[in-house]
Parts: sequence; C-alpha cells; structure tokens
Amino acid sequence: MSDASSYRFRKSERTLMQRLFEAPAIGKMSPASKFVAYSLLAIWSLFVLFPIYWVIITSFKDAASVNEGPFYLPFVDFQPTLDAWRIQFTEDPFCNFAAIVRQFGLLGYNSFVWVVSPVVELAPMEPQICKIYLAFTNSIVISVFSTGLCVLVGAMAAYALARIQYAPRFGNILIFVLLLVGVIVATTYAGAPWWASASVALAFFFFLVRALKGYFKLSLKNGDILFWIISQRILPPIVVVIPIYVMFQAVGLLDTHLALILLYAVANMPIVVWLMYDFFTNLPVELEESAQLDGATRPRIFWEIVLPLTRPGLAATTLLILVLAWNEYLFAVFLATVKVQTMPIMVAAKNTGEKGIFWWEMCAVIVVMIIPVILMAILLTRFISKGVLLGAVKG
Amino acid sequence: MKDFGNQASVRFENVEKSFGDVKVLRDFDLEVLPGEFVVLLGASGSGKTTALRILSGLETPSGGEVYIDDENVTDVLPKYRDISMVFQSYALYPHKTVAENISFPLKVRGMDKADMDAATLDAAKQVQIEDLLGRYPRELSGGQRQRVALARAIIRRPSVFLMDEPLSNLDAKLRGHMRAQLKHMQKSMGITTIYVTHDQIEAMTLAHRVAILEKGVLQQLATPAEIYNDPANLFVAQFIGSPPMNVIHGRLAGSQFTTNGVVVETNVSGQAEKAVMGIRPEDCSIAAPTDGTLVGTIFTNELIGDHALVTVDWGDDQIAIKAPKDFSGDQGDEIGVVIPRDHLFVFDESNGQRIR
Repeated sequence: MSDASSYRFRKSERTLMQRLFEAPAIGKMSPASKFVAYSLLAIWSLFVLFPIYWVIITSFKDAASVNEGPFYLPFVDFQPTLDAWRIQFTEDPFCNFAAIVRQFGLLGYNSFVWVVSPVVELAPMEPQICKIYLAFTNSIVISVFSTGLCVLVGAMAAYALARIQYAPRFGNILIFVLLLVGVIVATTYAGAPWWASASVALAFFFFLVRALKGYFKLSLKNGDILFWIISQRILPPIVVVIPIYVMFQAVGLLDTHLALILLYAVANMPIVVWLMYDFFTNLPVELEESAQLDGATRPRIFWEIVLPLTRPGLAATTLLILVLAWNEYLFAVFLATVKVQTMPIMVAAKNTGEKGIFWWEMCAVIVVMIIPVILMAILLTRFISKGVLLGAVKG
Repeated sequence: MKDFGNQASVRFENVEKSFGDVKVLRDFDLEVLPGEFVVLLGASGSGKTTALRILSGLETPSGGEVYIDDENVTDVLPKYRDISMVFQSYALYPHKTVAENISFPLKVRGMDKADMDAATLDAAKQVQIEDLLGRYPRELSGGQRQRVALARAIIRRPSVFLMDEPLSNLDAKLRGHMRAQLKHMQKSMGITTIYVTHDQIEAMTLAHRVAILEKGVLQQLATPAEIYNDPANLFVAQFIGSPPMNVIHGRLAGSQFTTNGVVVETNVSGQAEKAVMGIRPEDCSIAAPTDGTLVGTIFTNELIGDHALVTVDWGDDQIAIKAPKDFSGDQGDEIGVVIPRDHLFVFDESNGQRIR
C-alpha cells in the first residue's frame, strides 16, 4: 500500500449490495431500507386504521348485515342504515331538547359548585335523560375535572421533588406508621372518637420526632420518594378496587362524580409526577435562581417562570391523563353503578348477555366516544411546539 | 443617575464550602470596599463561582460568615441581601419580552405600571436597548441578550452587583466592546461589583483589585499592577501574563541561581535545592550567542505582528522571548538569551512561594 490514495473509499467502486444498502447521501435512506420501512409502515397503518373504519361502517349496519357478514363496503356489500344511531338519539324517549338544555344548566351549576366548594352537595342530574347524553356528559365532567386536579397537584409535587431536597428519616416514618396503627386500634376496638385519637397521635408524633432528633441516621432521598410514587402505578388496579369501593361506601360517595374525579386524580397522579419531574429537572436552574435573587417567592417562580416554560410538556401530560380518564373502565364499573355511568360502561352495556352483543349500537356509541379524543389531540398539538426555551440560556 | 443605590462593603470571613468530600473553598477571607470593582480570577474548579454563589445566597457556606455592609447575611434569604446578579447564561425568561424581563424585579416588588415602565425605559437606555423592548430573547443576538441581563440587574439599584463570567458567551470583538462598557458603567454608578472570570485580560482591565483563586484557596489579592509586577507565588506568576512567564528550573545558593551549569546572578538571597527562576517573555531579549546570559537553540520563531515570539530550548525548559518583528533567526539556530537581573523572580519549587 505505497499509494496513499488506496485508503480512499470510492463511490464509483461500490458493489451491488453497497448500492442497495448504503445511504445515497447524509440524511437519506438506502433503497433497501426505504423499501422495508415503507412496507412495514403500510402494514402497520392498516392495523391502526382498519378497526376505526370497521367501527364506523358497523355503526351504519343493521343486525342482518352484521350477522350475515363479513361485509366491508357500504352500498356494495350491504345497505347502510341509520338504525343504530336512531336508537341512541331520536328513539330514546328521554332524548328531547328541553331535557338536554336543563341538563346543561345543572352541569354548569355543578361545575361551579365543584370548583367553589367540594363540600356542597352537587345537584342531582336529570334522572330521565337519554342514556348516551348522560354518559357523555358524565365522561366529560369526570375526565376534565379529574385531569385538572391531577395535573395541578401532580405538577406541584413533581416540581417540589425536582428542586427541593427532602430527607425523611426511616425512624420518623416508622413512628408515624406505628402511631397510625395505634389510632386505628383505638378507634375500632376501644371506641375512641377518631379526631381525639388522631390529635393525640399527632402530638405524640411531633414530640417523639423532636425527642429522638439525630438518633436516626438513615433517611430516604428524593429518588426514593419518586420511585415510591411511581410504584403505586405498578400495583394492578383490580387488587385495590374492592377496598376502594368499601372506602367510598363508608363516606357515602358511591355513584357520584366526586368519587370518580378523586379516584382518577389519585390513580393518574404518579404518571403526572413522573413525566413532569423530567420536564422540571431539564429546565435551566439559572432562570429560577435569577428570579429568586430578584425577590420572587417559590410559588411565584412556579406559576410565572416554570409552568409557562414547561407548557409543551404540560400539554402532552394533560392529553395523556385526559385520555386515560376518558377511557377508564374498571373503577367506573364498580363505583358508577347508575347515575354517573361513563362512556366505556355504556359501550360495554351493549353486550346484553342473553341477546348477545349489539355490535351496530356499540359501534355508534364508540364513534361518539372517540370524536372528543381526536378533537383534543388536534387542539393540544398546537401547544406542543418546539423551541420554547430558545433564547433562555443558549448564547 | 447620581444616587444610584447604596455602596455596600462585602466581607467573607473564613468561609468554607465542601460538596461531599470535595472542598471547593477553604478558609476564604476577602474584604471588598464600598464602590470597589473586585474580580475573582481562577481556572475552572478554583471555587470562584462558589464564592459568588455563597455571597448571593444561592449556596450556603459549610463554615464561616458573609457580611454585606457589616451585617451578617450568612443565613439571610437572597431577596433580602439587596444584590443583583448577571449569570453567564444571562438567564433571561424566554416567554417574557425584553421589557417584561427587565421589569420583573419591580413587578415582584408590586410597583405600579407607570413607574415600572418609566424605570424600564430608563434602564434600557443605560445599555442602549430601548428599541428592543417589545422583542423576545430568542430574537436577540448574544450581545443584546447580555445587555438585557445587565438592564435587569441595574433596574432595582442594588447595593452589590455580582457577575458570573458575563462576557464568556460573546465573540472576541463584542467581548472587548462590552468590557469597556461594563467598566464605564461601574465607574459612573459606583456600585460595589464582584466579577468572576477565568480571563486574565478581563481581570486586569476591569478590576480595582484582583483576587486569584486556585483549588479553593486565595492566592493573592492585589491591584492588577501588583499582581503583574510582584506575584506572591509561582501560581500567580504563571497564571497572569500572555504568553505566560518563563520558568527555568535550577538551584539557588545565596544569590546565585544555577541552571544547566550556568550561573545567573539574582537580587534575592536564599537556599533552595530545587528552585524556579521566572522571567516574562517581554523582559528577556535576544543577543548574539557570545553575549547571552544563556545560550540555546531556537525551537521555533513565530511572527505575531508587532513582535516575533521566539521559543528557545534550554535543557528541559523552553524560554519564550518577545523579539523585534524583523528578527530572522530560524529553527535550530544558536542564540543568546539576555535575562536582566532586575526582572527576575525566584520561587521555591517545593511550595511555589516567592524567594525575595
């Protein structure tokens, strides 16, 4: 190899395999990988889009065209009909305009009450209203309010974990748990009023923590707390659904919006904390330090500096939580028996058991259920834009 | 702006800071006079930024006290210290306009809109950005962002200005311009300023006094001229000056410094088996091989413009000499180096201390 230029790759000397598998230029795909990639994408898009197509056409079928099928092409295979849709809307005796307007009024009132004071009892919704309307508004109320609560509290928790170092000591946690057991024993077996035993236990707790200060060395770190929060999502919900049912029964909240709102907020909180923690830790800390030197308080920094800067992340998280709450079935089927049935329950109810599944009606309900999700996605992508931090710290 | 804020004094007393096992600041003492411009100079990891952050209150010291205007502020929240800081990254709020950025400190203080707007315009005029007030930081150049950060720092008339490498993100030309601007602003406002940098030129040109830090220890605190002409130790001597001071290893006996068998007469007296002789490139000169204090061979000859920088091999050391620009010696030539006795520094190699 005396000739130095013999070390060079020459584009003109490529083999056939190289021509097929090598990218023609930086940022381009080779012919072979292009073929593979687009083939896979085409197959995958069929998997994704076909169910939606199937749901839509099935909602326009009658029982006969469903059962005699499979038919896929409207007007060719089968004659479309609005029967399934009529059953949901015009043929439901309670689906009249006045009732829906009244229902809107009640919804507004309840939302207001819910925001102002969660303690005031919500007005009962119109008992006789068409089912699909009831389920739809229930789903909206529950998912919107639970998502709002969940994202608000979760984001604040995530910010605290991202910026403040906590070190709860194992010993103190142990004392707390033991005293809690004491409270339970005292109220259940000794008949002490719960508020009295709780106050005594709290007083004991503060006394013991002060007295034993410096005695316990081992403590948890923020990472442990974060993992503890996330681990609650690892538990299968079916495991806890019975205790949760009993708890809500005890406080008399079964079959209420509030029960599902609170439950969804708590159940989805770990996801919010997890996602938002990442966004917050990636924010340049100088911005907050600068605001701190300028005299801003923590809450002000959070609302005025941190939250606006994490808006894309916040929007993505909100979308995810909203969809999770919108689609939730398991908790709803236990806790929302009659009045606050949500859309997923309504869909499942089309499986009548003795008469089989009314696929055409189910599909009509499903179409109604997926429309808001698509609208939300379109709306929220507008907020998920890149380059929000541009100009903050980069020169 | 005559009555611009309060000229505060600043005092560090035995300040220590460790992160885990790493001590980044040891027994740090520094007194800054009211209205003074002090530059903390050091390489990265020398503790200079930590010292600044301790003064700002963003970091708490592991030991020692910090005073502003003779008031102990060691445990005082940053907002009550009446200081403002310009960050290396500028830390502008990207979702706020320039005007909103500048006025943020006043907004936090609950000032009414009319006064705030007037003050914002005033501060913007100080740094000549009054026509950029409606823009967002992402629409500004580096130099303009720097000015916005400055305006935000001066708008609330603090007692102490802190600057953490404010010019290091600018290109060389703009840096020189902003340096002059900063010096002018500080002088006309008279605010006590503490400025952190790793750039010796910034330190020499801006400071009333320079504090040189290395590995968390204050090496020397003096005026730029003193630092240059009378370095306290080998570290300071080598840190300041461009190209850096030449060091020649040898042995000191009395006033005679012996290196590679050549004896150089010095003005100091002492004994050191391992000593270092320091001489600045501009203080040496070249001569014919017969006339030099030392005689070596030329390693390379670089023409800088107004002078030529000649590097000469001397034993294991190399000596850089600023020679006239028409010097034509070439690589490998024998050359004499003249080392004037009055410009010589001698250091003890074992601890780096100056032998006087």
